[in-house]
Amino acid sequence: MEIFERFWNAIEGIYQGSGLVQLDWRNYVMIAVACALFYLAIKKQFEPLLLLPIAFGMLLVNLYPAITEAPQTTLMSAAECIKAKGTTEGYATTVINNVTYYNVPHYGGLLYYLYQGVKLGIYPPLIFLGVGAMTDFGPLIANPKSFILGAAAQIGIFITFIGAIFLGFTGSQAGAIGIIGGADGPTAIYVTTKLAPELLGSIAIAAYSYMALVPIIQPPIMRALTTKKERAVVMEQLRPVSKLEKIIFPVIIVVVISILLPDAAPLVGMLMFGNLLKESGVCERISKTAQNELMNIITIFLGTTVGATATGVNFLSLSTLKIIALGLIAFMMGTACGVLFGKVMYKVTGGKVNPLIGSAGVSAVPMAARVSQRVGQEENPGNFLLMHAMGPNVAGVIGSAVAAGVLMNVLK
Amino acid sequence: MDLMGKFTISASMLLTGFAIVFGVLLLLIFIIWLYGTIVSNAQNKSTQRKAEKELKKQKQIIAEEKTKTKSKPAFEKQLQKVETGVSDEVVAVISAAVYTMYGSKQKVKIKSIKRHKTQSAWARAGLLESNQPF
Repeated sequence: MEIFERFWNAIEGIYQGSGLVQLDWRNYVMIAVACALFYLAIKKQFEPLLLLPIAFGMLLVNLYPAITEAPQTTLMSAAECIKAKGTTEGYATTVINNVTYYNVPHYGGLLYYLYQGVKLGIYPPLIFLGVGAMTDFGPLIANPKSFILGAAAQIGIFITFIGAIFLGFTGSQAGAIGIIGGADGPTAIYVTTKLAPELLGSIAIAAYSYMALVPIIQPPIMRALTTKKERAVVMEQLRPVSKLEKIIFPVIIVVVISILLPDAAPLVGMLMFGNLLKESGVCERISKTAQNELMNIITIFLGTTVGATATGVNFLSLSTLKIIALGLIAFMMGTACGVLFGKVMYKVTGGKVNPLIGSAGVSAVPMAARVSQRVGQEENPGNFLLMHAMGPNVAGVIGSAVAAGVLMNVLK
Repeated sequence: MDLMGKFTISASMLLTGFAIVFGVLLLLIFIIWLYGTIVSNAQNKSTQRKAEKELKKQKQIIAEEKTKTKSKPAFEKQLQKVETGVSDEVVAVISAAVYTMYGSKQKVKIKSIKRHKTQSAWARAGLLESNQPF
């Protein structure tokens, strides 16, 4: 009889601890969202390197919420400790009102520990290290005026900030939402962890989703704001940039930005460090590691842990819908401002600048530059805008880091 | 936050963000333009100097060659042993390859260009295998 009782208790215990009892309807909705993201990542190949880990993290946390649980210490009396653990040996003690309690630790979930890299702002700068090691700033050095387009595309961040404030978000939350317009995932995560960590899941997913949707969101805006004649402009070939100029560039950028905006130093510093490793040509092994192994490892950790912040309770709320809407506005405004400044440059230079390269100012390297190239070739198949668009594109990375520095400095 | 408060924080953030982002990036444009001009000017000058030196050297070598080989025929005539059927382009390519290998410092002359005797299939296969990239 006792055997059956024990067997039944074990079955009941397993059932009570299973997802069938623990999960509520919101978790099941999020599991469906995760499956939709799997579809987008695998079938449609929208930013699969990030969307797939994010979706898997989302799936895991909604199946087993304790995977992100923080470690805890429970104070137990001697009797409770012996009942639970079989012994009191090896546990630290705390005496309260002359009663001795034993500190029984409960270890945290796997993703809790991995998430510390996000929470402490470690992963985004490391991703920037890899991005820097992969980026060629040559087109920007050859045509530094591209910085204007990189700056113009950041206006969307500040306009969205206004929208978020009027929708009832606090200043810090509005800043974190606005940064989605920078179209730079690591920057968005970095700023959100500093300003509004409670919104991290929604903001990260909105940012990466819009980055994946660049080829769909940007072209209609670009066509609407430019004339056929402007889109067909063929730009002059860029001057060749010497190795010395490429080596000096990261040093100058990090010095100037770190002095003027210290809050942007971790992001810009690591970006430029990665670039110096690449351009110096003397650290090939480290540069390759930063571009490949390190970048891939951090992407796995960052993706899964960010996805794991999207629990049903956190994600399925009105504020998430607002963030998704505001993120889209931020992205569209950034694109529009970039194109409009491109038009100004077209006028000022007497038709030498194709305004389409302005849309690439919203970071999203190199997708946004590819979109400029594609839309330009629709008008003139012999037009190659890619290298010209890479200038504003990489300027956008620096611009969004500067904008992040401004937001963190003013709002923290 | 009341409406006035919202308006104030929005306007101040827009203004601050706009001014700082544009200010910093305009400063960067100026700095990059400045050092780009300085570096490219310095490099142009050094390459110009190098080219001038090289030209002087070449002139000197030609002058020396002329004095030494006054009686000798010109380059085209020196290279008489070019097998018939070998085009001028092939001669030019071989000369360029030899120059690339030995440079201008070593005085190397191409005395003749002959077609290589047809190799056996086994020899060609061996050569191909040892020359293939890893």
